[in-house]
Order: sequence, then C-alpha cells, then structure tokens
Amino acid sequence: MHELYVHPLPVRIWHWINALSFIIMIVTGIQIRYIGLIDIMSFKAAVDLHNGIGFVLIANFFVWFFFYLFSDKIRVYHPELSPMKHFTASFRQMKFYGYGIFKGQPNPHHVSVYHKFNAMQSMTYQIVMLLLVPIQFFTGVLLWDVERFQAGINVFGGLRVVDTVHVLIFIFFAGFIFIHPYLASLGHTWSAHFKAMITGYEEIEDEQA
Amino acid sequence: MISLGSKWPKSALSARLLVLAIALVVAFPLLSTSDQARAANDGLSKDDQLCLACHGESGAEKAMAEGEKLSLHIKGKAFAASVHNAIGCSACHADIDLAKHPAPSKNKQTLREFSIAKVEICRQCHEDKFKLYEGSIHASLLRSGNPMAPLCSDCHEPHAVRAKAAASGPIDEVACRTCHGAVFKVYAQSVHGLARAKDPSGGAPICADCHRSHDVAAASSGNQIKEACLGCHFNALQLHKSWLPNAAHHFEAVSCPACHAPMAPRRVDLKLYDSSAKERVTEKLGVPRFESRTKLADSKGQGLDALALQSLLKEFNRDNDEGDTILRGRLEVDGGPETHMLTAKGSAIKDCKACHREGAAPFQKVSISIVGPDGRPLRYGAQQDVLQAPTSVDSVRGFYAIGGTRIKLLDILLVLALASGVVVPIGHLSLKWLASKYLPKSSDKPAPGEATSGTDTRQS
Repeated sequence: MHELYVHPLPVRIWHWINALSFIIMIVTGIQIRYIGLIDIMSFKAAVDLHNGIGFVLIANFFVWFFFYLFSDKIRVYHPELSPMKHFTASFRQMKFYGYGIFKGQPNPHHVSVYHKFNAMQSMTYQIVMLLLVPIQFFTGVLLWDVERFQAGINVFGGLRVVDTVHVLIFIFFAGFIFIHPYLASLGHTWSAHFKAMITGYEEIEDEQA
Repeated sequence: MISLGSKWPKSALSARLLVLAIALVVAFPLLSTSDQARAANDGLSKDDQLCLACHGESGAEKAMAEGEKLSLHIKGKAFAASVHNAIGCSACHADIDLAKHPAPSKNKQTLREFSIAKVEICRQCHEDKFKLYEGSIHASLLRSGNPMAPLCSDCHEPHAVRAKAAASGPIDEVACRTCHGAVFKVYAQSVHGLARAKDPSGGAPICADCHRSHDVAAASSGNQIKEACLGCHFNALQLHKSWLPNAAHHFEAVSCPACHAPMAPRRVDLKLYDSSAKERVTEKLGVPRFESRTKLADSKGQGLDALALQSLLKEFNRDNDEGDTILRGRLEVDGGPETHMLTAKGSAIKDCKACHREGAAPFQKVSISIVGPDGRPLRYGAQQDVLQAPTSVDSVRGFYAIGGTRIKLLDILLVLALASGVVVPIGHLSLKWLASKYLPKSSDKPAPGEATSGTDTRQS
C-alpha cells in the first residue's frame, strides 16, 4: 500500500466548499419550492441564503476553473477521444459496480495523478462541471433578479422555461448528493476516499507481482 | 343701435318674453362694455341677471324629442359661484338669437343628442382637456355608441362648475360616483376614502388622482394606475426591496391592490401580448376574434385548459407575421370595486406563503384577456391548472410564481430522485452485504490498469 498525492489543496478546498454549499442549496431550494409543506426556515431566509450561497458557489467554481486551467492537472478532465475505448472502460466500470463488487473483484480503475477518474466519473464530471453547473449558475443568476435580466430570460423562452431548467438540474443534484458519497465509500475501506479528499493522498493498493 | 320699433313684441307673445325683451332693451348698452358690466349684485353680470330673470325660476323646462324634458332652470347662486360666471351666459350660449328667444318650436333632439352637441361648446375653451378626453375610455365608449358614456356636462355641471371641484370637495360630491357607485362605496371605506372624508384637503387621493380626470383609461390596461400609486408612494420600491426578494419583478407581476387589499379576491390574468410590438393585443373594431376563438378552443365550455390555451395562442400567432404573441401574467384583484378595498400598510399581505405555497388562493382563478375595441379588457376563463401543467411551460412562459404555480411533474421527478438517492445506495449496500455472506469471493486479480505511480507518492 502506498499513498499518491492526487487531490491538490485548491481542489480539496473547492470540493468541501462545494459539498457544503450544495447541501445548503438543496435544502434551501426544497424550502423555497415547498414552503408550507416543509418549514425549516422562513421563505425569506431560505431565499436570502439560497442567493448568497449561490454566489459563493459561483466564486468557488472559478477557483476550480482557474486552478485546472493554469495547471497541468487539467489532464484529469481530458476526455477519452476514442468512443470505443471510452465505452469499453465505462462498461467495465459499470460491470464492476453492478456485479464485480459483489464478488469482491478489484476495481478495474487504477488511480494515478493524471487519471484519477474512472471512465464513468470522467464522463459524469465533464457533463456536471462544464454543462450542468454553468447552466445552473446562469439560470440561478437570471432568477435572482428577474427584472434586471428580463431580456435574457425572454431570449431563453421566459421565466417558466428558465425556472423549469433550474429545477430539473436541481432535481439531478438532489439525487446526486446521495449517490456521490455512497460511491465515494466504495474504496478499499469505506472512508478511504473521504480521507483522501482531506489529506490529498489516495491510498493505493500495491499490485501483486 | 338696434331699432326696436318694428320688433316690439306683439300681444300674442307670452308675458315672460315681454319681460325679457324689456330687460334686454334696458341692458343693451352694457353689452358692449362687458368688463364694466360685472355688477356686485349677486356676483353676476347684469346680462346674466337678465338671463336668470327667466332661467332662475324653478320648473322651467323645454320639451325634447321622445317626451323628454330639458330643465332650463339655472341656480343663480351656484352659477355666481362657478368659474363660468366670469365668462357669462353668452359665452356658451352664443347661438341664442335674442330676437327669437325662446324658440317656440319643440326641440327635435333627445336630451342625449342635445348634450353631445353641446360638447363642442366646451371644446372651444377647453381644447387641451378635450384632446385628453378624446383618448379616454369615456370617449371610446361614446364613439362605440354606449348611451352611458359620460360627456363633459355629466361630470361638470356647467352652471355650477368650480375650480378643481373634484380635488377639494367632499367625497360625496365626486361626479364619478354617479356611474361608479359600487366602486365609490368600497372606496369610501378604504384607507384612502376614510382619510379623504376626514380631511378633504389632506392629500388622500380621490378618483381622478389615480384614474385621471379626462384621459381616464381602463384601469386594468397599461401602467397608469401603478404609476399613480408610485406617484404618491414614490419610495415604495426601495421600501419593498428591503424585505421582498425580486421586488422589482413583484412590482411588474403583481398589482399593488393584490397585496394592499388583503380581503379582496384575486386572480391571475394572462394577457395576450405582442412581444414584437411590445404592447397588448387589441381587438380591432368590427373584427371580433377573441370571443369566437376562445369559445372554439373551449369546446366543453369549462374554461380553457392547457392544450386549448396552446391552440388559442397559435391562432393569434397566425395573425402576427412579424412577432410572437405570448401570454403575460399578472396577479390582480378580481373585480373593479374590490380593487379599491385598500387598507393601511400594516394590514397588507406580507407573508410569502400567501402566494408561494401550493394551492395558494390567488392562483385558483385564471383568465385570459385582450384589450377590447373600446379599451376595456375582454376576458375569458381558463382552468386553474394551466398555471401548473407541463404543457404550459411555453404558452404561460411569462408567468411563474415559485411554489405556488409549480409543475406537479417536477415534484414527482424530485421525489423519484430523492428516493433513488436513498434506495440505490441502501439496495446496493444490502446486495454487497448479502453477496459477501453468501457468494464465494472471486479470485480475480486486479486487471492491468493505468500506472499508479507518480511523482507524489509515499509509502504507508
């Protein structure tokens, strides 16, 4: 067993701010949408917190964005350009989570500094970070001040369309926030990946000769 | 100098005409020097006193067409106190030929026709006001032949008109009350009406302050009323911003009385709006589209549902080659009189739940509207669920209240997402536990993968 420094400090800071903020955003989002059904806090408090944390998340996104943009670690997000290789790796990973893991088979993905995501993670995070999160931020800012951004809202089809897109992505994240830590618990111990995201070092099992 | 010899009244004329003629002879020299003719006596000029010698008698009237009677009685005291005292009777009644007055024949006009004709007299001096009136809902109703459409004299009793009477008089004397009695009754009990009754000169608004006096528009069209509110409550937006998220949007999508008349019933009015012309769609005179199309779309007569609304919009978009006809929603008070049930600031709705919770009362009634040919809105009922149907995302794109008009399908998706988020890990974990107990462990070795070495490694 050896340790590999996979998660640089800026990424860890970004990750934990993101994690906490996403939980707050989901809780306040549910409170805003279901006022009367759920009353954890007042509508006004939920809206203010949702707006404030939303801007924290946007700022935090740029921490992630600029770190990867100006470091060689951006290679972790490089897409696999061969669809065949990508889907073969994805299928192998799915097979592991759906079958191999129950049989105690080893994870087919081996973490390295520049290849820390398995094929499924790689595809998911590219979609999440480069598509869903920016759309969520964009629609969120439009909804934050509807009058100021009325022209933009109209371009995208109106308030109801913008809100529906925002809510659909919110629904995805509401599910994701449960699945993500569960998948993170599927390391060689349940806490291995959590610890790694605090220390920066992933524990890697040495390959047997 | 006029010779009276040949025109001396014959004995066949009534005694009243004789008195008038004698009075005119005595008064005639004064006509050419009208400035000096103003007499202190009763505040009326001597010319006008002569007119009132007859017209001051109560019961004087003239037969009009269709058996109607035109009162000829002028209250001298009221006229003396009116602003028109300054110009005298002859300024407006220049058509009176004293030699033939009073005309013996019966007037062939109805009272209404007579009043309409007399509007032109007002116009001679009040051209500016007349232009404003011509653009008003009242003039529009007049042009459409509405017999109730008010004319100058319906609001301004010409022989008793006082300077800005509506602005300083007791609220009971406001002319609008004649036609808008139901509104006035509610207004009188509102925060504005009560303040006005207590102190008429205290600045509390009365009808004309919000609706304007001559260029009065249909209250539900345009921003005239909102501007009137903000004209006095000029810092309202700033005050609302201190506690109300998206305050500027609330000011657009919610009418002031929707919150400030908390006891009034509310509705969402989806207004057909031409987004290219940036104005509400207006029904053209003689080309009725709205009624026929809404009835056609609502074949069951239960109010437009989401699909019927889509088909109605398609119909209007066929007329609109350049632009895009959309629906712009606004939360309003349901009913004209009820709109005036304004209360003191402290009683206004401030609880977000009133609108943003599921099944909120304001979203239980929905109407579709267009501006009618006379400026008043034409409305047709829609089913409440048009605000929540997934198929309305495009057609009702311009109106959305978080929570209150949320789409049910998205609620189901959220429940599924949350359930999946909980059930999938628990299920997977359970399977893992069962497998570890009952399945033989695989002897597979790690598949050859990517290099695990790197520059940042340490042994543990």
